[in-house]
Order: sequence, then C-alpha cells, then structure tokens
Amino acid sequence: MFKSNPYHNKTAQWVVYVLFFGALAFVPVLSDDAFMMNQFATYGVFGMLALSISLCWGFGGILNLGQGIAFGLGAYGMAMTMQMQSQDPETSPMPPFMLNNSVEQLPLMWEPFWHTGWGIFIALAVPTLFCVIFGTIMFRARVSGPFFAIMSLAMLSAWYTIILDSQPFTNGVNGISPPAPLSIGGFEIDPYSGFIYWMVLFLLAAMTLIIKLITTSKFGLIVQAVRADSERVRFLGYSVSYYETVIYAVSGFIAAIAGCCWVVAVQYVSPAQLDVSFSISMVIWAGIGGRMSLLGSIIGAFMIQGGQSYLGDEFLATWLLILGGFFIFVVRFLPKGLAGLLESGLGLLVAKPAAERESAPGPVAGAKVQG
Amino acid sequence: MDSLFGNFDLSAFASALLLGISIGSIWLIAALGLTIIYGTAGVINMAHGEFLMLGAYSSYMLQAYFGVPFFLCIPASFVIVGLVGLIMERGLIRYLYNRPLDTLLATWGVSLVLMQGVRLIFGSDPKYIAVPQMFQESVEIGFFSISLFRIVVLLITALLVAMIWYLFYRTRFGMQVRAVTQNKEMAAAFGINSGRVYMMTFALGAGLAGVAGSLFGVLNIVLPTMGTSYVVQAFLVVVVGGGSLVGSVAAGAGTGELQSIFAYFTSDTFARFLLFVLIVILLRYKPQGLFAITKARR
Amino acid sequence: MKISRRGFLKKTAVAAAAIAAPHLWVPVTREAWGATLKKGEPIKIGILFSLTGSLAVPEEDSTLAMQYAIDEINAAGGINGSPIEPVIIDAKSDFNVYSEKMKELILRHKVIATFGCYTSASRKAVLPAVMQHKSLLYYPTCYEGAECTQNTICTGPLANQHSKDLIPFMVQNFGKKVFFVGSDYVWPKESNKNAKVWLEQAGGELLGEEYIPLGSSEFTPVLNKIKQANPDFIFSTVVGASDIAFHKQFKQEGFKVEKMPIASLTTGEIETKAMGVEYGAGHFLSAPYFQGLDNPTNAKFVEKFLGSKYGKNGTTHYNMEETYTSAYVFKYGLEKAIADHGIEDVTSAKLRDASAGIKVPDEVSPEGLTWIDPENFNTWLVPKIGQCQADGSFKIVKQAAEHVAPDPYSIYPDLGKCTAKGLMAPDGKLRTNVI
Repeated sequence: MFKSNPYHNKTAQWVVYVLFFGALAFVPVLSDDAFMMNQFATYGVFGMLALSISLCWGFGGILNLGQGIAFGLGAYGMAMTMQMQSQDPETSPMPPFMLNNSVEQLPLMWEPFWHTGWGIFIALAVPTLFCVIFGTIMFRARVSGPFFAIMSLAMLSAWYTIILDSQPFTNGVNGISPPAPLSIGGFEIDPYSGFIYWMVLFLLAAMTLIIKLITTSKFGLIVQAVRADSERVRFLGYSVSYYETVIYAVSGFIAAIAGCCWVVAVQYVSPAQLDVSFSISMVIWAGIGGRMSLLGSIIGAFMIQGGQSYLGDEFLATWLLILGGFFIFVVRFLPKGLAGLLESGLGLLVAKPAAERESAPGPVAGAKVQG
Repeated sequence: MDSLFGNFDLSAFASALLLGISIGSIWLIAALGLTIIYGTAGVINMAHGEFLMLGAYSSYMLQAYFGVPFFLCIPASFVIVGLVGLIMERGLIRYLYNRPLDTLLATWGVSLVLMQGVRLIFGSDPKYIAVPQMFQESVEIGFFSISLFRIVVLLITALLVAMIWYLFYRTRFGMQVRAVTQNKEMAAAFGINSGRVYMMTFALGAGLAGVAGSLFGVLNIVLPTMGTSYVVQAFLVVVVGGGSLVGSVAAGAGTGELQSIFAYFTSDTFARFLLFVLIVILLRYKPQGLFAITKARR
Repeated sequence: MKISRRGFLKKTAVAAAAIAAPHLWVPVTREAWGATLKKGEPIKIGILFSLTGSLAVPEEDSTLAMQYAIDEINAAGGINGSPIEPVIIDAKSDFNVYSEKMKELILRHKVIATFGCYTSASRKAVLPAVMQHKSLLYYPTCYEGAECTQNTICTGPLANQHSKDLIPFMVQNFGKKVFFVGSDYVWPKESNKNAKVWLEQAGGELLGEEYIPLGSSEFTPVLNKIKQANPDFIFSTVVGASDIAFHKQFKQEGFKVEKMPIASLTTGEIETKAMGVEYGAGHFLSAPYFQGLDNPTNAKFVEKFLGSKYGKNGTTHYNMEETYTSAYVFKYGLEKAIADHGIEDVTSAKLRDASAGIKVPDEVSPEGLTWIDPENFNTWLVPKIGQCQADGSFKIVKQAAEHVAPDPYSIYPDLGKCTAKGLMAPDGKLRTNVI
C-alpha cells in the first residue's frame, strides 16, 4: 500500500521515463530488420506529434486541429534541403519537377536550401514563426476553445490549398521525393538502419525531457492556471495571450522537428501531410493515450499507428469502425485516456486514510495536476 | 493573372454575382443544421458532414430500393437523419454538454464510424440520385442562365430559413430554445426541460443536414466521403456568422458571393485561399463572429 | 575531392560503428535484400492499391483485375512452372501507407515486383524506396511522364499518347475553339501542355484554361467562364468525384452536348455509371481500351472476367485492362529473364532489363497488340476515341492506324531523352532516377 498515488510521485515518474526510453533504445540491438527500423522511426515521429499535442492541448488547454501546418512546413523544408543535396549548381541547378513547370531559374525561396545547415534552420524556424504570428493574432483576439480549434482547421485547409496550388515551387499534389538520403557533413543517414531509429528516439526523449521541465516550472504553473480559468489569470495581471502563444509555438516547434525527421525517414512529402484527417489523428493519439500524460500520448501514437499497420490487414474493413468506436468510448468514459485509467488504477492501491483525505475537496487534491 | 481585367465582361461579371447567390445558398444550407446545433447547445458537431452524407444515402436508398419519387425523398431524409441525430444525442452527446472540446472529439469519432458503416453497407463505389427530367435543365433570363435545380436549392434554403425563424421566434418551443440558449439554469428554474430542448434541436439540426445532403446528392456525387468536402465550409459559415441564424445567412451569402467573385477574377483554388485568409483576418477583429448570440457567462 | 572526403568519413564512421554493433551501421548493399526465386517455388509479387478510402473506386477494380490475371496465369501453369503468389495490401488511400507498405513488400515480403498505385502522388511516395532497393514497380495507368527512373514499367498511356488523336478529331468534327478544364494538379497540367501541341498542329484555338481544386464540387464559376468564351468543345482532365459533378452541372446549367461536347481523358464506363447516363451520353473519351472494343480477345476477356468471382462490379474499364495487360508483361518479361540468367540469378533489375521490347500479342491483350518501349519502359499502344451512348456503353468512333510511341519528355526536348540507363541530356550527360 502506498501513502499517496504513485502515479503522481515525481521519482516514480522519472524512473518510468528512464525505463521506457532505455528499453526502446535496445530494440535495434535485438533486431536488424531494416524495414522495422524504418517503420519504428516513423512511429517515433508520430510519438513526437502526439507529444506536441499533449503539450498544447492536454497541458495548455489549446485544442489544435491544425498541427499538420507546423509538421508539413517542417517536412517541406527538410525535403527541399534533401532535394538540393542531389542538385548540382553547375549541371542541374533545379529539381527536375521545376523544369516541367516552366520555371526558368531556381526560385528565390529555394536558394537557401543549397546549404544544408540553413535549410534545416529554415525548416524549423518558418513553422515556429508561423505559430508565433498566428498564435499572437488569435490569442490576442481572445479566440479560444472550440473557436480556436475550428480556426486552426481553417488555417490548415488554407495552407493545404496554397501548397497544392503553388505547383511550380512545391510540385503540387505530387509532392517532393528527394532521391537520396540526407547527408550531414559527409555522413549519410541511412533511413533503413539503427541510426535513424536512435536519432528519432533520442530527439523524442530529449523533447519529452524539455516538456517535462517546462510543465514543472513556474511558467508551466501559470499555463495550467490559464487552462483552468483564463479570465481569473487575466485579472491577476498576467498576459494570457503571451502564455498561450508560447505554448502553441513550442508545440509547433516540436511538430516541425517531427516533420524533419519524417522526411529523413521516408524521403517524401506531399500536401497529404497537411490533410485534415492526419492532424485530427494526432489529436486522437493523444486523446486515447491520455492527453494529460506525455508518455501516455506517445504510447497512444505507437498503439494506434502500430495497430493500423499490424491489425489493419486482418480487420481491413472494420478498422475505422473499431478506431472510431474506441475513440468515442475513451472520450465518453475516459477523458484522461488510458493514462487516466492507470492513474485511477494506481489510486486504488493507496492506503485508505490517505484516499479519504484525497477525495475531500481541498487545496491538496486540487494541486495534483500534471501526470 | 494576366487575364485579370483582360476579358472583363459586364454580363459575365453580373452572372458571377448572381451565381454567387446560388453558391451562397449551398454554403448556407450545408451550414443550417450546424448553426442550430452550435447556436443552441454549443456543440461543435464534427459528424455534420456525415449527416449530409447520410441524407444523400437515405435518398439514394429510398429511390433505388423502394422507388420513392425524389421530392418525397427530401422530407424522408429529414426524418431518417433526424432520427440518427436523436439517437446520437441520447446515446452520447447529452453526457458531454459541459465539455465542448470533448464533444468535438467524440463527434469526430462518430463521423469515422458513420463513414465506415455506410461504406460497409453500400460499398465505396459512387451512387447516384435521379431527378425528374425538367430539373436537369436550365432557365435563361436575358444574359443569365441558371440550372433549375439550383433555383430549387435556393428556394428550399429560403423556405427552411423562414421555417426555422418562425419556429425559433414565433412558437412556444422556440422561446424555450432561446431561453435555454441564453441561460440554461434560469430556464430550468422556469420549468423548461433543457435536456428535451437540446435533444429536439440536435435532431432538428441533423434532419436539416439530411435535407441538404439529399440535394447535394443531385448536384454532386454520393460517396461515403462526400461530407468532408462540405464540412469545413459549413464550419466557416457558422464561425463567421457567430452561430446565430441571421449570422449564418449573412455569412453564407457573403462567402458564396466572395468565392464567386474571386473565382471569376482568379482561379478557383486561389479563390478558396483568399477566402480563408479573409476569414482569419475578420476573426481577428470580430472573434465572436458577425452576429454572436449573447449568453450568460458560466 | 569532395567525394573522396565523404567516402573517407563514411569508412571511418563505419569502422567505428562496426566494433560496437556490426549490423547496425554498415551501409547495406541494397540488392542483397532483393527477392530471390527458386525453381518450383511460388513467385511473390506485391499488389498495392487502395481498397478503402477515396481512391478505392478505381483501385479496387485494378486489384480485382490483377487477381483475375494471376489466376488465369496460374491456371495455365504459372511462370516456368512456378505459380504467382500475390501479397495484396490495402493502401487505404493514404500516401503515408503507400510509402510504408511498399517498404514492407520489398524488405519483408521480398517481392520481385509490385503492381500498384493509381495517382501520381502515390507513385512519387513509393518511388524513393523502390529506387533505393532496386526493386520494380508496374504502374498500370495513364500518367504525365517527365520522369525517368530505372525501376518502373508503365502500361498506361503517357500524356503524349493520350490526346494525340482526340484533339484533331474534335477540331475536325466540332470546330477550332476549345476550352481546357482540369483538376488542379500535375497530370492535368502536363496533359494540357501536350494537348496544346496537338491543338496547334490541328490549327485550333485555345480560349481558356481553368483548374478546379481536387475534390471540389462547385463548377458554376468555371461554367460561367466557359459560357462566356463559347468554345466549340471542352477538353477535360477533371478527375474523380469532381468529374462527375462537372458532367452533372454541365447539363444542369443548360449546356448542350450536341453543341459543345466534352472530350475527356478520364470519363469512362465507371464514371458514366456513377453520374447516370443522361449526364454522360454524347461526350467523348480517349483511352486505349473500352469495354465495347470489338475483337475476339476482348469479347472473351469481358465474358470470362464478368463471369468470374472478380467481376462483381459489372464493368471492365481501361484501368483494369491496363492492369490485366501488365500481368502479362510481367509474365513474358520474367520468362525471358529466367531464360537469360537462370532462375536463381533473376533480380528485379534483371527482370526490368529483360522486359525491354516485350510484346503482349493480340491473342492476349484485349486492347490489341502492345509492347514495352526498350528505352523508356512505357507502352506502345493505340489510343482510341469512344463516344458515350445512351445506354452508357462507348462506341468507338476513331482508332489510330498505327501504334503511338511513348515519350515521357516529348514536350521537353531540352531536358533530354529517357533511355534505359537514365535521362540522357542533350549535352550527353546521363542522370539516373530522375523523378
């Protein structure tokens, strides 16, 4: 029996984090299946996206249905960088698709991508900057809740449309498929090796750590207060829009990193990455896994995408039915997702007197927030 | 873009303006059900597109299997989809009224289930709704010609708006709805059964989507995925309008008209993009939409 | 200089890593992962089409046609005595799934070749994996060209073949003025560029060119512009659900098919059935195959296919036929590769090389004799023009006298010529894997 719910125990949480990522790091040592390395690396990317949603929605209370924007822009930036690596200033200064789109010379927006470092910088900076600007506009106008969700959805559609329409610069719906893997400083990142898997896993672990630190800081406390009641925080003299924008932008930055990793792993980007259903599935991952829990969200992404890959063929026709039904169930009965289930499960282990204290409404129970 | 003013033609432009009304009526009828559901209960119904789709499929089903004439299929679709909405409200939505973000997500789950369910039942090949010969024709008024069926859509839209207005502002039920919208607790204190009001409005909104869907089945194609192409538009109308009936009428007409004009001067794709950007800018200054409903802050 | 340094760094990194965990870092020779065939054992191929989602309508039919062809080949003794064993995968109309499943087919199922993809976007999504593992993709549908990889064989018409006869035919019969309408993506734009070449040769005049967002169903703004321009006919490359909305609204808005027919590259038997014949009748389609094609091979194909368990949808249509033919291109190519190299040594790359010039004879191909171009690995075929009749079938109104050569770079002579080894630029430089 425990004195308090071990789910909320800080030490226990860190131990679980270390165990989780440590165990995952061993996977490539056990298997050298090239397909699996590549596939698991993409799962890692989905994990990052779920993590970014968890930060934004679970933690900041901002439901973002347009996370595909940051993801897609990051992915396009990386694809452009990789595409330019296989171009040569002398013999073939332009990607092949431009030649049949009546483009005379390399468009200005493509120029920086000659340099890999600049390319990656832009791939991360542009989506983040977009989030800052869009976030500032929206949150200053006090757009929040479902309204913000719908606006992020509309913005996503707008980006989707414009990328599709700018065919000479983006190759429209066909997207960009860089013919060779990314090479940094002469080292080629083999997308079918343990290296890509470790790279993605390392980034995922690092970002989880950073977010965990943010959530436990004073800044994090204020953000949670905004989630609970933004009006009261405003009355206390805080700039609510500032906190919302920062959280939204950090979450966008993570999605941009995910976008970059995605293209390194699959060597392909198209407007499909900005599809509405893809952005919503990110929310579904976090929702089912548990939006309040960073690990829960990541595991939600692994579960659903893994299920789609490995169960999908057996359940072919009924997969979406199962997924939809499961999601309805989770929203209806488990608003904190599977992680919330674990939380209440562990809560049962708590010694009786403590449980009674906790159940009484009071500052102690109220202060237990983030898991 | 070089043809920006190159082939500007007054009669063509006037046609574009008039067509804008027709496009607007399509935006509006797609958004009517959503407006009522959002305006009254504050529920963001992501399954709205699938309600439209169900409307089209129920018309198809009645016509193909039972030989019901098309114009009887429209009210029948209203009833069928309304019942689906009723079941959904009783089974799921009513537990989520105080969790607006969760209703959004749960209804998304419902939309997945509906889409896949229809696919399993009817297959994923496109279906087709037949209309009487005369509605495949057009009418010509001077330089302007428009399809007869679009006039029908416009008239049905106008009729529905009038009926909703009457229902909401001239009947006892409407008064109850408005009371519940403004302040649920106070309304309850006056003996209004807010649960029942929500249930009825949700069913009504779903039914309206059913009507719209059966009309879209004629203009467009009947597919399990057909709803998704309308639902973002419908949301924009509701958001711009602020969730009120008059707001949606204004927003539907305005966006339809703008889309037609932009498309006239540029391309259809760019017109869409312009519209999205304009809406974001508008919301910067009018975050609650054009005609927001006043609600008690809770 | 640069290359040698890169090579050095790579070797150092590999050496360092090899100590730690040998299999993790060593850059793998991709061919080593390729499929190997053994005598008497089934030959594994992948079938990668969408069976669910928005692309399911055309792609499910392609899967069925492919399964039918495999059954037919296996019933006749397979390839050199080995049956074909298909691995059928549903790509769920999701490009991410296409990309992932293609890798699974190559790396896990070790297929010798994959038949799949309908849209160019899905092809572009799978090609990086196909190229890196030197695998082989049979792409059985029409596409825009301007691509030169060493890993694809296409059995559908290229943009330069598709409208070659259609445009002159329409100009002769209906008049010089034409309006182009297409979906807003790569294939319609490329097709229209080719069509402009034929239009100029035929002495026609282009009045306007409009593109509609994919999946859009609102055609009144475009129809308004068309009405204003008043062309003699419309040349359409609108695809999918939009195409059906376009034909419906065309009639509903008062356009008359006799006065201004639509000449399409896409509106075939399936689309006409979906929109209702009253909207489809009278319009024209250019395709290498129609269900109503009058030859004994086709009569047998239609009868047997519709009678089989795969014929549930009741039509055979150009995509299905192109898929069916591609199975025979594979069969003949593999037989040749086995004869050349011996069954143990056949790889996907050797299969591709052996497929150069492979002919599918009249007795097998429902569209009539076709063959694979030995340089660019697209198909020599005869485009036909059909007019939709009141019962939804198509009547062949014109058939080219001879086969039209595929040329993926016909309108881009500056870029070079696609050869078996890669894209040969006019200055003699060779570039491989141009996508």
